[in-house]
Amino acid sequence: MRSLYHSSRKQEKLTESITMSSEPKDSTKTPAEQSAAAVIENKRSPADFLKAVLGRPVNVRLNTGTDYRGVLACLDGYMNIAMEQTEEYVDGQLKSKYGDCFIRGNNVLYISSPTR
Amino acid sequence: MEEPLDLIKLSLSERVYIKCRNSRELRGTLHAYDQHLNMVLSQVEETITSVEEDEETGEEIVSKRTRNVGMLFVRGDIVVLVSPPLRTS
Amino acid sequence: MSNRILPLELIDKAIGSPIWILMRGQTEITGILRGFDDYVNLVLDDAVEFSPDPRDKSVILKKELKAEILLNGNHVAVLVPGSKGPDDSLASKA
Repeated sequence: MRSLYHSSRKQEKLTESITMSSEPKDSTKTPAEQSAAAVIENKRSPADFLKAVLGRPVNVRLNTGTDYRGVLACLDGYMNIAMEQTEEYVDGQLKSKYGDCFIRGNNVLYISSPTR
Repeated sequence: MEEPLDLIKLSLSERVYIKCRNSRELRGTLHAYDQHLNMVLSQVEETITSVEEDEETGEEIVSKRTRNVGMLFVRGDIVVLVSPPLRTS
Repeated sequence: MSNRILPLELIDKAIGSPIWILMRGQTEITGILRGFDDYVNLVLDDAVEFSPDPRDKSVILKKELKAEILLNGNHVAVLVPGSKGPDDSLASKA
């Protein structure tokens, strides 16, 4: 099982990289302080976004144009996604429903969250 | 559930539905998988959907072909979606 | 240390402003850039998607997502910071 280790490592790196790039001159702050600073600056890294949408209704769009709407159960660094109460829309038409489903990350174009 | 692949782990030795690229669908019993989502399935029903256009009327004709395979290996890179069908309505 | 600007620094400067993204394939997306990471996964606000109509590929559909999105960096081809996209007259003049 690579992902538990791998994805959390990757996410860590994601968070680091964005806070580093936003504050290149200040290396004295802890990562937590840096990410707090990033929030104050109204920046939102992909890691922040993912934290915010976990357990919430999302729309996942694939490269093929198919949309999946459901509750985001979890995801990893490859953007593999587990969703609940999923509805599949092809060309905007509801095609089928899945109680649980796994979406392979390479097919994902974007994840959108309807509200904030 | 910690990570998405746990959903696949929970589906081991269950019937699963797999949506692949090129309008290919598989239903079968999941025996093994790995991090690429390569999978081994048994008692598989494969459905391929194709849309053709009628030359005279220009109508779209959707045709579905199914066949059964005893045991097969699916390469992970063609997989789009996996769902345990028992929990699928 | 050189004074040259690194590619991702340019994108960092675009945070808070509009950005136009051309994906591999035909899809294009615009929005307000909120953040990104080393893989160029992007967080966008008020995103708008321009993609070819599945029935007639010569028609480009414009879809306002009215949401915050996380765009997968895997499929990103080109970034145009400061541009509101294909509709932006400044971009088409330049």
